[in-house]
Amino acid sequence: MGSHDYKTPFWVWGLVLAGAIALPLFLHARGMDFYVSMLSRMMIYGIAACSLNLILGYGGLVSFGHAAFLGIGAYTVGILITEGVTNGWVGFAIAMGLSALVAAIIGAISLRTRGVYFIMITLAFAQMIYYLVNSIKAYGGDEGLNIKQRSDFGLGLDLKNDVTFYFVVLFVLVLSLVLISRIMASRFGRVILAIRDDDVRVDAIGFASYRYKWVLFVIAGTLGGLAGALMVNHQNYVSPNLMHWTQSGILMVMVILGGVGTLTGGLWGALVLLILEDVLAEYTLHWQFYVGWFLLAVVLLAPKGLAGLIRRKSTRKGGHA
Amino acid sequence: MNAGALLQVNDLVKNFGALRATDHVTLDVQPGEIHALIGPNGAGKTSLVAQLSGHLPSDSGQMFFDGKDVTAMPTHARVRNGLARSFQITRLFKSFTVLDNVALSVQARSGNSFSFWRPVHSEKALTAQSMDVLHELGLQGRAQDPASELSHGEQRILELGLAVATQPKLLLLDEPMAGAGPVESERILQLIQKLRAKVAILLIEHDMDAVFRLADRISVMVNGALIATGTPQAIRLNPQVVAAYLGEEHA
Amino acid sequence: MTGILLLEQALNGLQFGLMLFLLASGLTLVFGIMDMINLAHGALYMVGAFLTAWLVQLTQSFWLGVVLAVMLTAVIGMLLEATLLRTLYARDHLSQVLATFALILIINESVRMIWGSDLPLSMPKALSGPVELLPGLRYPSYRLVIIAVGLVIALLLYLMVTQTRMGAWVRAGASNREMAMAMGINIRRLFTGVFGIGAALCAVAGAMLGPLLAVQVGMGENILILAFVVIVIGGIGSVWGAFVGAILVGFVDTLGRTLLPMLFRELFSPQFASAAGPAVASIAVYLLMAVVLFVRPQGLFSGR
Repeated sequence: MGSHDYKTPFWVWGLVLAGAIALPLFLHARGMDFYVSMLSRMMIYGIAACSLNLILGYGGLVSFGHAAFLGIGAYTVGILITEGVTNGWVGFAIAMGLSALVAAIIGAISLRTRGVYFIMITLAFAQMIYYLVNSIKAYGGDEGLNIKQRSDFGLGLDLKNDVTFYFVVLFVLVLSLVLISRIMASRFGRVILAIRDDDVRVDAIGFASYRYKWVLFVIAGTLGGLAGALMVNHQNYVSPNLMHWTQSGILMVMVILGGVGTLTGGLWGALVLLILEDVLAEYTLHWQFYVGWFLLAVVLLAPKGLAGLIRRKSTRKGGHA
Repeated sequence: MNAGALLQVNDLVKNFGALRATDHVTLDVQPGEIHALIGPNGAGKTSLVAQLSGHLPSDSGQMFFDGKDVTAMPTHARVRNGLARSFQITRLFKSFTVLDNVALSVQARSGNSFSFWRPVHSEKALTAQSMDVLHELGLQGRAQDPASELSHGEQRILELGLAVATQPKLLLLDEPMAGAGPVESERILQLIQKLRAKVAILLIEHDMDAVFRLADRISVMVNGALIATGTPQAIRLNPQVVAAYLGEEHA
Repeated sequence: MTGILLLEQALNGLQFGLMLFLLASGLTLVFGIMDMINLAHGALYMVGAFLTAWLVQLTQSFWLGVVLAVMLTAVIGMLLEATLLRTLYARDHLSQVLATFALILIINESVRMIWGSDLPLSMPKALSGPVELLPGLRYPSYRLVIIAVGLVIALLLYLMVTQTRMGAWVRAGASNREMAMAMGINIRRLFTGVFGIGAALCAVAGAMLGPLLAVQVGMGENILILAFVVIVIGGIGSVWGAFVGAILVGFVDTLGRTLLPMLFRELFSPQFASAAGPAVASIAVYLLMAVVLFVRPQGLFSGR
C-alpha cells in the first residue's frame, strides 16, 4: 500500500479465523445459540462499518448518510420476500444493484462539494430516503416491515438456523475484507490514498480524481446494501429507523473507534461498541451513559482509535513489505 | 498568434473582485524553449500559472496547447495532453514513501488505473521506472523514506520530479527553488538544464542568476500585465523593466 | 378561507424559523469561529427545556423559570467549553464528531436519570388564549409572544455583533482566527463567552418551544439536523445567514407540511396524495438545501 499500514502477520489472521469458526460451534454445543445470533449481528455491523471505512477512512470522505444504503439493501430484500421473491441470490443481487444505483446518483451530486458541505449533502440525501421510505404505508411505514422468512439460497442452507446464518455472515465478512484489502492495494487504491492526502495534486498528475472518488463511493454503497440485506434477514424485520441519521452517526463512531483507515478497524469498532452495549445493558438501564464516557475516553486518550493503541504497543516495521 | 507555438495564450483576463490579477496577457512558449516569467511579488504570476494548468478558471481569453483549445479543459486532461505543473508551495503525498510518490506519476501515464485486484507493488515495471526517475533526481537513496521526512530542499526536488515523471511536453514550474538550500538549488538547476530542448518550460523564478543562466526568453509581469518579452540581453537593457523590477533586484 | 389558513401557517413558519435561528446562530458561530462540529448543540436545547420545566414547577412562575433556566444552561455550556470542548478545537472533524456524539449520549442519559424521559411544561395561563389579529384570523397569543421574543433576541444579537466590541472580536475571529489572536484578542475567553451565549440561546428556544413540542429526551436530535441545514443554507459563520436561512427553513417546512398535502390532494389520487404529500413535505427542506448548494456552494452569506 502507499501508506504506512502495519502489516498483521498471516498467522494472526489464521488464528482469528480459526477462533471465529470454532466459537459458534462451541456455543451451539452449549445450547447458547442466542449468543451465536448476537455475534452474527455484530459481524453484520462490522461489514457495514468496513464499507463506510472505504470512503471515510481510505477516501477521506466524511459521509453522514451511509445508513441509507443499509436501509435500501434491507428494504429491497424485505419487500421482495414479502412479495414472494424469496430467492436469496436474486434478492441480494437486486439489493446490491439498487444500492449501487442510488450511490451512483448521490455520489455524482455530492462529490462536487467538499468538506462540511459534502457531509451535509450526504446527510440530506439520507434524510430524504428516510422520509420517503417512512411514507410507504404499504410496506409498514414508520412501524416497519416484518418478513415471514429468511432468504433462500438453496445449496441446502437453512438460514433460520443460527449457526448456519453465522457462517454465511462470516463468509461474506471475510470476502468483503479480502475484497477491500485487494482494492486498496491495487492501482485504484493507490490513487484513492493519494486523493486522501491531496486531491488537487492528484488532478495535477493526470488523474480525474472526481471519477475515482465516485467509483469508490459506489463500491462502498453496494457493500452497505449487502450489509443491509443480511440485516433484514437477521432481524426478520426492518424499519425506517435503520436509515435515521443517528444510525449513520453510530456507523461513523464504529469506524472512528476501531481506527480510521485500517482494514479491520470498522469491524473491531463494531464489535467493541456492540459488546459494550450488550454487556452494560444487562446491568443498567442507563448503559448509554457509560458508553458515552467510554467513547469520550477513546477520543481523548486514543486519538487513532483502538487500532492506534495496538500499534503503539507492538514494534513498527515502518513500511510495507 | 504564433504558428509554431506549443503553448499560446491570448488575451487572458482574471479578476478577483476589483483586483485585476491577469490583465489581457498574451504570450507563447515555443517547443523546447525555456521561457522565464519574472516580476515583483503579487504581480500575478502564480495566478497565471494556475489558469494555465486549469486550477483557476479565467474570466476571458483563450489558451491553445499543442494545437488544441484547452481553455475549458479540466486539469487532469491537460496533464494527459502533456501540460504539467509543479507547485510553489510543495504538495506531496505526505503519507507515501518517496518512491510511491513518483510511482503515482508514472502510473498516471502508463495504462489504466481502474484496476482493482492486482497489487500495485507487484508491478515490477512501474517500480523500475520510478527508481529511474529517482536516480535522475538524485533521491534514489531516499526511496523508502516517507515523503514527510525529506528536508525542504529534497521535497522541492521531489515536487519537480512528480511533474517531470508525467512525461510532459511543457512544464509549468512555479518557483521550483523556493526555500531550497544552495546544494538542492544547484541540483534543480541542473535538472532543468537536462530537460532543455526535450521539454518546453515556463519558469517562474525570483533567483535572477538562475533565470539569466537558463532562459532562452524572458517575459516580465507587473500588476497582472506583461510589460516586456524578449531575450535575456534585451530584457536586461529594457528601461521599463529595469525601472519596474530589475533595478532593485540586480546590483 | 385559504387566505386565512395561509396567513396562519406563515405566522407558524415565522415562529418556528425564529426559534431555529436561536439554535442556528450559536451553531454557526461555533462552527465558523472555532471550526468545530458540535453535535451536542441540540442536547443543550433539550437541557434548557428540561431545566425550564423543572424550575417552572419549582418557582410556580413561567417567566422566572425560563430566566433561571437560561442562565443555568449558559453556565453549563461555558463549563462544558472550558473543560472538554476546548481540547477539541485542535482536533480533526472526525474526532469532534465522535466526542460530541458521546456527549449526546451522556447528556441524554443524565437528563433521563435526573428527571425521567419527559417533563410536563405548559404555557402561562395568561397566554393560553387566542388573539384576533385580523377579522377571521385568531392566532394563539403564546405563539405571538414567541415571535416577539425571537425578533427581540435577533435584534439584540444584531446589535451585539455589529455595535459592540465583543461583536467585532467575534466577526474578526470568524473571518480569520490567527489574525484575531495576533491582534491580542483573548481568544480563550471569547470562545467561552460565545459558547455560553450559544447555550443560552438554545435554552431560550427550548423553553419557548417546550409547551408546544413536548419536553422529552431526544428532542434535540430532531431539531439539530434542521439547525445544520439552516447554517449550511445561510453560510457557515454568518449570523445574518443563519437568520435568513432559519426563516426560509421555517417557512418551507411549516408551509410545506400544510400546503403540499393539500396541493397533492388536488392534483393526484387520494391514495397517492396521502402517502406522497407528507413525504415530500418532510424532504422539502433538504431539497431547498440541495438547490441552494447547487447555485451557491458556500451558502448564501458565507464570509469564507
